Amino acid sequence: MSYDIQTWIKVAAFSGGGMAMGFGAIGAAIGEGHTAACANAAISRNTKLSGDIFKAMLVGQAIAESSSIFALVIAMMLLFTKFPAHVLTVPVLFGAGLCMGLGAIGAGVGAGYPAGSCCTGMARQPAMSGRLSTNMLIGSAVCQTPAIFSLVVSFILLFTDFSKSPVSPTWAAILGAGIASGFGAIGSGLGGGLVAEASCDGISRQPETTTQVTNVMLLGQAVTQTTAIYALLVSFILMFKTFPATHLLAPPMALLSAGICMGIGAIGPAIGEGFAGQSAVAWIARNQKQVADLTRVMLVGQAVAESTGIYSLVIALILIFVV
Amino acid sequence: MEDLGKIHQLIIHIFGQDFTFNIESMIMTWIVIISLLIFGYLAARKRNIIPNLLQVVGEMIIRIFYDLTEDALGEELGKKYAPMICGLFMFLFLCNWLGIFPHLEEPTKDLNTPLSYGIMGFILAHHAGIKAKGLKTYLKDYCEPMFIMAPLNVIGELAKVISISFRLFGNIMGGSIIILVVSYLTFNLVTPPFLNAFFGAFVGTIQAFVFTMLTLVYIAVQVA
Repeated sequence: MSYDIQTWIKVAAFSGGGMAMGFGAIGAAIGEGHTAACANAAISRNTKLSGDIFKAMLVGQAIAESSSIFALVIAMMLLFTKFPAHVLTVPVLFGAGLCMGLGAIGAGVGAGYPAGSCCTGMARQPAMSGRLSTNMLIGSAVCQTPAIFSLVVSFILLFTDFSKSPVSPTWAAILGAGIASGFGAIGSGLGGGLVAEASCDGISRQPETTTQVTNVMLLGQAVTQTTAIYALLVSFILMFKTFPATHLLAPPMALLSAGICMGIGAIGPAIGEGFAGQSAVAWIARNQKQVADLTRVMLVGQAVAESTGIYSLVIALILIFVV
Repeated sequence: MEDLGKIHQLIIHIFGQDFTFNIESMIMTWIVIISLLIFGYLAARKRNIIPNLLQVVGEMIIRIFYDLTEDALGEELGKKYAPMICGLFMFLFLCNWLGIFPHLEEPTKDLNTPLSYGIMGFILAHHAGIKAKGLKTYLKDYCEPMFIMAPLNVIGELAKVISISFRLFGNIMGGSIIILVVSYLTFNLVTPPFLNAFFGAFVGTIQAFVFTMLTLVYIAVQVA
């Protein structure tokens, strides 16, 4: 039984759209639930502030939800846009859906953490409500960066004209690009959330350290995102490098494996770096005089935790350029 | 939608070689440089004990970055590197904000711009490291914990350049692609100002700050 190309494109669009929204719904829901739980605890601790805490909860949840909305946008585009009838459109639609769906998981969960600890912090230290909200906004906006990378890769996949590329290795490169950025965003979103959570906690504990805590939080989050950036780099190489046409199976598999290697390899280091940043920020709030030492230990520790991510990057680059 | 991620280039053939110039990024970079020079001139022109508005802004930026640099590098080295750190932030900040204005593009959207500043930071950091520790200790640090790990340590240092420049590039280019696509999908109704405020102003400021802080921290880690 054989199907024409239009049928395959429809199959890819439907399954891609389903995966985008299905995976994309996981993270934001968990994050929002965490925020609501923290808000409840905060309100019962400080009943007078229930209005402010409720507002902070809603704002935090709205930010946590944005990664899910990115997934919704991609899913709608896959379902309702008309795509060119070409063989490579099939992996493009599938890859774009997978990329955005997986990419939304980490950022959704991550953005829920600072929102929750912002609510708890407001109950503990009502005078710092303004600074806490600002810090929460910055922290959770930076958490969204990996999801934005996934969204960008999905958009580039959907709007780039692949029709002149040879079908055989390019299908694997497209799928690999989607998988790399999709999986690669999970850990970084989550890790960035852990750092931001500790920073909101720290500000409410020791308001004088606000500036230092926010600065170190930004640094910690930036380093946490490094492996997601490696994944983005691998995706870009896979999308924009022109590969020679081949009828063998090995070269496409090397490209696909490069994407899988970098994507999955980026999850662990990012979460580990998140732990390092979380602890550093939490202890800066308790021990203000040791900011320089704590920051240095955090950075060196994160660099060591990142080494497995660098191994993945090396293997992915070898798979693309050497094999 | 065809100009998604495209950069205008001028290719010149001289002596049998192709020289590629990214005209748009170059013009935009010059706009940023000239506006910063004008800002500096105006802010410092009528220095007074009762400062005018521009002087207040200038003093605030300089104070913040001198404090940050001295915290990270110590009193002596801090004074040396602070002007560079301060200038780097003001340049990147204005670069990232440039996209908000119609018909202007962020120079940081072109990978070459962040990459050159990443390489600049890399060279500065390692120069400072060699100067502070001496060449022998500097080279010895690569062989930690074992001699076999040296190649991976070198790759780790080079990966820092990639991560710092792709972080800025990915955020700014990603923002501009999202603004383009979403504005196209909503027929340019309502959404563009909000998207520009978030991706241009907010994310642009944070990323300029992060880039500057990371450059500073790379220097501090090498010196320590």
